[in-house]
Amino acid sequence: MISSIARRSHRNERIALSIIRLCAGFVIFAMAIILLYLAVEGTKTFFVDHFSPLTFLFSPDYDLDDNHPGAAIFIAGTLLVTVFAIVVGGPFGIAVGVFLSEIAPKSMAQLLKPAIELLVGIPSVVYGWLGLTLLVPLIRDHTSSPSGFSLAGAGIVLAIMILPTVISLSEDAFNSLPPALREGSLALGATRFQTIVRVLLPSASSGLAVALILGIARAVGETLAIQLVIGNATAFPTGIFGPTATLTTVIVGEMPSATQGSLQEHALFSMAFLLLIIAMVLILLVRFALRKRT
Amino acid sequence: MKRNAALAALLVGFSLSATSAFADSSITAAGSTALLPLVKDAAGAYQAANPSVKISVSGGGSGTGINQVNAKAIDIGDSDILPPATDPDLVDNKVAVIGFAVIVNPDLKIKNLTRKQIQDIFAGNVTNWNQVGGPDQKIVVINRTRGSGTRVVFEKTVIAPEKVTEGGLSEDATGTVISVVKQTPGAISYAAFSGTHGQPVTEVAIDGVPATEANVITGKYPFWSYEHMLTNGPATGEVKKFIDFVSSNTELLAKNSFIKISDMKASETNR
Amino acid sequence: MDVATTQPRSTSLVGSSPSVRARKFADQAATVVLWLMASSIILLLALFIVYMFYLGARYLTPSFIFGMPAETSAGGGVGPEIYNSFYILILTLIFTVPISTAAGVYLQEYAAPGRFRELVVFSAESLATIPSIVMGLFGLLVFVYLFKWKFTALGGALTLTLLNLPALMRVTQEALKSVPDTYREASMGMGATRWQTVLNVVLPSAIGRMTTGIVLIAGRIFGETAALIFTAGLSVSENAPYDLNPFHTAETLAVHLWYTHTESIVPDVDRIGNGSALVLLIMVLVFNVAARVGGRALSKRLTGRPT
Repeated sequence: MISSIARRSHRNERIALSIIRLCAGFVIFAMAIILLYLAVEGTKTFFVDHFSPLTFLFSPDYDLDDNHPGAAIFIAGTLLVTVFAIVVGGPFGIAVGVFLSEIAPKSMAQLLKPAIELLVGIPSVVYGWLGLTLLVPLIRDHTSSPSGFSLAGAGIVLAIMILPTVISLSEDAFNSLPPALREGSLALGATRFQTIVRVLLPSASSGLAVALILGIARAVGETLAIQLVIGNATAFPTGIFGPTATLTTVIVGEMPSATQGSLQEHALFSMAFLLLIIAMVLILLVRFALRKRT
Repeated sequence: MKRNAALAALLVGFSLSATSAFADSSITAAGSTALLPLVKDAAGAYQAANPSVKISVSGGGSGTGINQVNAKAIDIGDSDILPPATDPDLVDNKVAVIGFAVIVNPDLKIKNLTRKQIQDIFAGNVTNWNQVGGPDQKIVVINRTRGSGTRVVFEKTVIAPEKVTEGGLSEDATGTVISVVKQTPGAISYAAFSGTHGQPVTEVAIDGVPATEANVITGKYPFWSYEHMLTNGPATGEVKKFIDFVSSNTELLAKNSFIKISDMKASETNR
Repeated sequence: MDVATTQPRSTSLVGSSPSVRARKFADQAATVVLWLMASSIILLLALFIVYMFYLGARYLTPSFIFGMPAETSAGGGVGPEIYNSFYILILTLIFTVPISTAAGVYLQEYAAPGRFRELVVFSAESLATIPSIVMGLFGLLVFVYLFKWKFTALGGALTLTLLNLPALMRVTQEALKSVPDTYREASMGMGATRWQTVLNVVLPSAIGRMTTGIVLIAGRIFGETAALIFTAGLSVSENAPYDLNPFHTAETLAVHLWYTHTESIVPDVDRIGNGSALVLLIMVLVFNVAARVGGRALSKRLTGRPT
């Protein structure tokens, strides 16, 4: 005979379980619906306007009055700015991650970690504004760029923005290595630096790969910080100090004025869908890298 | 139990206040940054006189205005140009006339350009200021983005049959254009009088005709357009009253460098 | 695990063979370089903070912080925008915290490994990598066009909810993970059901960490821009700047900063920009400190432990 109290708590348990299962299911639902919507809107360029995906991806001719929805310029812009950010910010981030994990005394770590957290907390629009007020005049006055709006400016801002991500993930990667690895290497007479480079880095490689991939994901998706400094020119950049545009900046720049049902709107949604696909590919890469570790 | 009651109260409160959101007394307008100063000033004056009316105004460019009023996301779409023929529901309410200026960085000391020179500059055929009577300085063309009505007017009235080449910097709004031209040596762009008059940029005379309201009225100066406040279907109620207020308030029109339609002597059917 | 403690004591180069000297030199050089790099980050942050205070502090007058924005003339303030930032933040948290806590509890305390669990985890990860501008477009499609709400605070908040679900789920999971299993075992040993355990024992123990995480994420929501441009709008109404109605057009401070630098035609762009950036920075600092302090205080109250 189950008492009424026990019966009630069992019923509560079941209600609670259904509610939280519902919430978990909502996450799946949300993702599915976003994917669906963007897939439907994003493929209209191909199914309704009858352009081939190859044209969209590889043609640099973005002239919508003339029916040319080629997004190659923006894809190149996103790629270039991301590569710049990762080349500058990646090694730097990993180095500081190493520092935090292996070298920093507690006092330094207690200063550095909150600093990194603050850097993460700064809104991207403020980074864009910093780039606009600090970096653009610098570039304008000291390089060949006449206006200061350039690929390099966007790359530098992005590099700073992805640093916290790369740093904390690299630090995690190193922290999760077994201490025996270090002790063994040092016991054999290696210096700390040799240990790090020859033993720890290779062992942490999958974790570091995750750090870099997530840094790339952050860079690919960034919009406003880039838009304020890159110049928004529908052309390939004429060198590192030339202006250009990325998928995200052209979306935020043109979407408000894109007539519903027009080729322009379809092209922009195709770009958004492309960004979504890139994001999901990056996630799969992360899972792959993590699986390799175990 | 108590939590449920609180939740219910919250929901009821929300839904009650939600109904008031769709009452007549709220107007949203957006679009042309050329028209924006006038609409904003008018909204302030109108709301002061009618405290029960809520008016929200923002920019975004003519394309945004047309697009959003079409999608019924806003009540009034401000635009420098007529909507494309594919929007049959949109009703045009002309409210004023505005002149636009080709502006250059003041350090260039350029005061006048011919139409041909402007064409060549924006088509990319001329790349240095010394080719048009200026100093030895690279020309930095600053374009307007695709959604800009000002750009359409520019192409139609100044550099036709050429079009602007892509590839230069492009900026969204009147204000940004002016600040970039101010700061960038060798820069050239175009924007409405409502933004350029009184700013530290040089408004260039076109074919010798200075960029003034007087020259627009007579039609000697070609770079002008009507300003349109588009509505979905004919304007009614508060919206109609507000639009009439915008087009008739002489003081605000003059303050922002607009020309009253009734004062206009030249006319064009296609603007 | 700190290699520093296992570093051999002698760093002198005297009396060692050439190859050892080279290795030791490389080690010392590398250490110096890494110290420089780490310090440069702190310096960079300090530079930003000092620069923003220097540029913006003089503009933080009451008329700026509480005044109405000006669309075309100088002298505008950001009062309604700050209000909208908080309004949307609170609304977002109202939606996000319950759902993400529940989902996080499910993943951490209940779910057996299997297809459903994998799907939830994968969906959360995917949601997390969606660029905020893409989410903003989704919000535009659904709330502004499909539901015909036009630009509303509610549309913005719902979009931000989708954006922040994964982050808050992770916060919940990490916080739950930090509660020792002995708590759960003791509770269930006394006959409590799983849900009773979670509600009365695990969650209160985790609440310190959860608060820290939530407040930190609140800081990020406060600064969110891209997702709000297309959903909550770019303007406030002069006659109802502090509107309680969730369907009001709600330009936030962060969006206003962006708007000022891309669309606006006010002559005092610098003043608005510098002032707004500084206010945003101060809010980030406040949220960061509050997260730490608040989390610790709450935890002490409910469990007696510092975290």
